[in-house]
Amino acid sequence: MTSRSLRAGARRGFLRGMRPFLLLGVVVALAVGACAGSSTRGSAVAKVSDATDAPATATPATPMTTPATGTPTTLPATPTPAPLPFPVTLTDDEGTAVTIPARPTRIVSLTPAVTETLFALGAGDRLIANGDFDDYPAQVGELPHVATYMGVDIEKIVGLTPDLVIAGGNDFNSPDAIAKLRAVGIPVVVVYADSVDAILADIRLVGTSVGAVPESEALTAWMRDRIDAIAAAAATSTPARVFYELDATNEIYGPAPKSFIASMVELAGGDPITTGDPAVFAIPLEKLIAADPQVIVLGDAAYGMTPAAVAGRPGWGGMTAVKAGAVRPVEDTIVTRPGPRIVEGLRALALAIDPTASLPEVGSPPPVAAP
Amino acid sequence: MGAAAPAAAAPARPPAFGRAVSAALAVSAIPAVPAIPAVRLVGASARYRGREVLRDVDLSIAPGERLAVVGPNGAGKSTLLRLIAGVLAPASGSVEIGGDPLSRLDRIAIARRVAAVPQQVALPFSMTVEEVVALGRLPHEDPFRGPRESDRAAVAAAIERVGLAHLVGRDAREISLGERQLVLLALSVAQATPILLLDEPTVHLDLRHQVEAMELLVDLNERDGTTIIAVLHDLALAAHFFPRLVLIADGAVVADGAPETVLGPDAIRSVFGVDPVHALRAPSEAAVSR
Amino acid sequence: MASETRVVAAPLAGVRLRRRRWSPTIVVVGSLVALAAALVLGVGFGSVPIAPADTIAILAHRLLALPVERTWDASTETILLELRLPRVLSAMLVGAGLAVAGATFQGLLRNPLADPYVLGTASGAALGAAIAVLIPVRILILELGLLNLFAFAGALAAVFVVYRIGRSGGLTGLLLTGYAVGSLLAAGLAMTMYMSGANLRQIFSFLLGGFDGASWLRLAIALPLVVLGSIAIILRARSLNGLLLGDESAAHLGVDVRRERAILLGLASLVTAAGVAISGLIGFVGLLVPHLVRMAVGPDARWVLPISAVAGACLLAGADLVARLLGDIPVGVVTALVGAPAFLVLLRRTRSGYEQ
Repeated sequence: MTSRSLRAGARRGFLRGMRPFLLLGVVVALAVGACAGSSTRGSAVAKVSDATDAPATATPATPMTTPATGTPTTLPATPTPAPLPFPVTLTDDEGTAVTIPARPTRIVSLTPAVTETLFALGAGDRLIANGDFDDYPAQVGELPHVATYMGVDIEKIVGLTPDLVIAGGNDFNSPDAIAKLRAVGIPVVVVYADSVDAILADIRLVGTSVGAVPESEALTAWMRDRIDAIAAAAATSTPARVFYELDATNEIYGPAPKSFIASMVELAGGDPITTGDPAVFAIPLEKLIAADPQVIVLGDAAYGMTPAAVAGRPGWGGMTAVKAGAVRPVEDTIVTRPGPRIVEGLRALALAIDPTASLPEVGSPPPVAAP
Repeated sequence: MGAAAPAAAAPARPPAFGRAVSAALAVSAIPAVPAIPAVRLVGASARYRGREVLRDVDLSIAPGERLAVVGPNGAGKSTLLRLIAGVLAPASGSVEIGGDPLSRLDRIAIARRVAAVPQQVALPFSMTVEEVVALGRLPHEDPFRGPRESDRAAVAAAIERVGLAHLVGRDAREISLGERQLVLLALSVAQATPILLLDEPTVHLDLRHQVEAMELLVDLNERDGTTIIAVLHDLALAAHFFPRLVLIADGAVVADGAPETVLGPDAIRSVFGVDPVHALRAPSEAAVSR
Repeated sequence: MASETRVVAAPLAGVRLRRRRWSPTIVVVGSLVALAAALVLGVGFGSVPIAPADTIAILAHRLLALPVERTWDASTETILLELRLPRVLSAMLVGAGLAVAGATFQGLLRNPLADPYVLGTASGAALGAAIAVLIPVRILILELGLLNLFAFAGALAAVFVVYRIGRSGGLTGLLLTGYAVGSLLAAGLAMTMYMSGANLRQIFSFLLGGFDGASWLRLAIALPLVVLGSIAIILRARSLNGLLLGDESAAHLGVDVRRERAILLGLASLVTAAGVAISGLIGFVGLLVPHLVRMAVGPDARWVLPISAVAGACLLAGADLVARLLGDIPVGVVTALVGAPAFLVLLRRTRSGYEQ
């Protein structure tokens, strides 16, 4: 044997050694998968992860008339609940078909927005656990926490025997955890909203999931009405250039184009300064200076950022906003959390952009049936 | 095949010992008239990185022969051993072991016929002397059932024969180079093959151990009939202990025969390029009484 | 360690030479017992307290099919069998695979510092995973996301490249090529992580390793690769033994060095890649376990490989338990925190003799 044939033999030996085992492994895996996949929970999914607005199966909303001025309207109390529509099969925001066999009485919420929504729909009494970053309304602190920033405690959830879990999409909650919960037979509805319309759709989706359809209809109708009113009042023919600062400790983080915050700024009567690339969230200082914001809204005010600190940053002094003192804090949670308080958030944002604007009051959402 | 226990000179050790080793060998001892050479090279040549390091070697070694390969550095001595051991394929010509061409023997079959004392290498893991010697039984071991009683016996016998019984449990990384050399020799003895190749086995040994090693080789050769082929630098040692010398220079066999004929002063001057007076010490200086 | 000098009075042939090591059979039995204990302990602990009696009862009922009166509720059984048991078994599977692969690489490369990742497997898997995270497509085939599949492919591709480029340089060439390719892939990984923005967390949690995503299906897919690959390696233990004294000696002892090296490399990489695909990068198991086993039973691969598998399974199951009890921190952190000091202690105890 020459050394060349030795080398070829080694190559063949490499493949020969691996081939039977690879083949065997693939065959076994496919066989096991075929058997195990027969009890599918709809997990074989291939899609592009643009969140689609999944229309919930719900009764159509009753049209409301909006007054031209900013007087608050009070809507009639919601009618007594119709016969409950369970079992229900709905499509969540990831396109998964979820079947909820009966009206859920033990609900777990894995995002703060969902928690707020549940309380707004009058289902707060049926909530048995939530995440430890929930902060509104006040009652949530007393519930057991099954989600932290490190992840979802699946065991704890299973131990509480819930009949519905509502989770956040787009990796807010780990997809592995969601799959695992579904695998042990717990219905999980995944919500994800990146626009105001999507938020309203999600509230209706949550309403369908928990059997609070009329309440969700009333709430979203009211929200639509108030949002339209505030947006109309804040609209101006010369929107100011607004930079919404998310964080500036290392790099400067602001909204990406077509992102939720950018759309909120537009609704609030501003012209958002964005990073320019939908996949990028950081903006170089030079670009920001060149864009010259007329208003800087501090979304990181809750973390201690003040207008004075901003003015003191090197290079920022030349911006119109800094020179005019138009650097204003805003409560970040209500502006960005995709829940029922988005109405207040919009109003707060519009005021931060133009404190002199005359905006209609938010008012109160329609009352729900007492728990 | 029956093992013919040699009835030669009275051995220092009990005859049962030699028979035990032969039993472990499971090959016949010295045949009366060698019809098939133990090793035969016909027109063999070897190339290394395009350069011809051995050309046109014709060599025939009868079973039970004891021969030393000598020559200057880079002459191709080690290459010759590698050809015989089958780890290097000849670029042309053929190499036969026991009449069978190497190209037709699989590696394990070759390993059962030819043992080559390993070069000193750094051991990656801590191993006892016994474990190192036990590696010599690899070609004989059952791949699934592992070492058998006969393997263990062969290992013990080899250690005893080389005189390493006092080192058995020691970590092979902690003994001296000379002791390790003997351990490797024991490994090849445990391999119990009819042909034994050694590439400069006396490098790290002091004078006494050199002589002892040589005497061990003589013993293996005369009592067990092992064919011994050793590459040696020490011409005096070679001349004293080996009845046949093969002188290799510049990739070719220059001389082949008894030491007196091979190592004449002209050969030393032309092949080694030194004054013959440097070459051969008086053989009696090399022998040390124990 | 006590002095190893033993003067053996050798009464000729048939003498049994004693080893200073532990008897391999005792070690095997001991490690199997430890494995069973690790299983029960691993399944018995978690964030929801379950009475030990219930744990053992459920295991006996379901695994051993013993008739036991049902005194527990369904959610407990679900937690044990659907959540904890696949996780513990996955940890055992990956631990066994990494240990066997580590022992194989150490023997192949004749280097006690080798671990399963030494030829670029880790960087290849990490880069594959990072690329998968960047791609905005969600694919789930048999519960294996793009991440797992790309990690598996990346690991194998990296080793293949290293082997093809580096094998001409002998062992040193292979190691150096592994280092070079690994560094290149790590640079690619850094670049990918930089571009990943918000998905950084996902890549990081893969890099640190963990069994959060363990499920019966993933276990079923990785099991044949790891088990069959490990068995195939163990069957070739003889070749590994032959390589102990180097390539030349191995050839003289009847080992087809090139072929065996390629096959063993391929099998060990396959086992490693399968483990990494379901659990991310977990270090120190493949490095330490073979060392400890060799200290106990000697370097004979016929014992070292299977015992390492069992010991690796126990260790990683234990590490996963600790990780869970400490608040679900990544397993790779636990193995590093325990493994690094242990390794240092090991180095100090190992004597360095006269090495050439």
